[in-house]
Amino acid sequence: MTPGGPETEAELIARAQAGDMDAFADLVMAHADRLFAVLLRMTGSRDEAGDLAQEVLLRAWRGIGGFRGGSSFFTWLYRIAMNEATRSRQRAARRPPSVPIGEPGAPGNSALDVPAPARDEPGPQAEQRELRDALARALASLPPSYRAAIVLRDIEGLSTREAAEITGVSEAAFKSRLHQARLKVRAAVGDAALLGIT
Amino acid sequence: MRVPGHSADHQWSQQHLSHYAEGDLPARARWRLDRHALDCVDCERGLRAMRALRRVLAADGSREVRAPRGILDRARAAAADRQSR
Repeated sequence: MTPGGPETEAELIARAQAGDMDAFADLVMAHADRLFAVLLRMTGSRDEAGDLAQEVLLRAWRGIGGFRGGSSFFTWLYRIAMNEATRSRQRAARRPPSVPIGEPGAPGNSALDVPAPARDEPGPQAEQRELRDALARALASLPPSYRAAIVLRDIEGLSTREAAEITGVSEAAFKSRLHQARLKVRAAVGDAALLGIT
Repeated sequence: MRVPGHSADHQWSQQHLSHYAEGDLPARARWRLDRHALDCVDCERGLRAMRALRRVLAADGSREVRAPRGILDRARAAAADRQSR
């Protein structure tokens, strides 16, 4: 342990690898909110994101012994999360839809974290809400790999290198997905809505 | 003013709006899009829309999202449960 100070990530990883679950808890709790945010944006459902987060943490706990530090712990954890979210989206795509993701008025079901609508919203707020609803629907309609590109790069603000590493593709392949995804979202939402032109 | 959709530059520009906004175009390609957008309302608006899209998405990313309380306790319980089976 660092004398007199908090343990470093490397120290926590070493303890977790030795089977210390408290160390593992300290390690992952630093990333829990962002992990959940990524899963929420990938699934569009708080319930599903919560279930997936639990599964991700379980997989991470079982796999921590194999973590060799070739990437950062954050990247490693996010890679597990993106794999779980992609698998979940693929399973969902094979099922008939029940509640559409991002459906306006469906609280907690949106790729974007849209709060519940207020009554008698003034014009600009109503327009912002419509734009965010349209964006949520557009993101929900993307294939998981395209959606992941926008979530990691544009919403989470990761670098291209980090996002490519997390999704397991080259930077060039990641950029290609990202550009295609943005074009699809722009086409779905429309320039007028994005620019606030009524 | 050019009629949109009828030139090779227009098709190419429409496909590269995100590359432009990301700063991924080399100087010559950037100049090609700049020149075309001067005459093309669609592409000029498309560029502004692409920038707006990135701003809205980034703004959403800056909102605080909190993981549900007890998420780790649930994972611990699930781990213990699976271990005991």
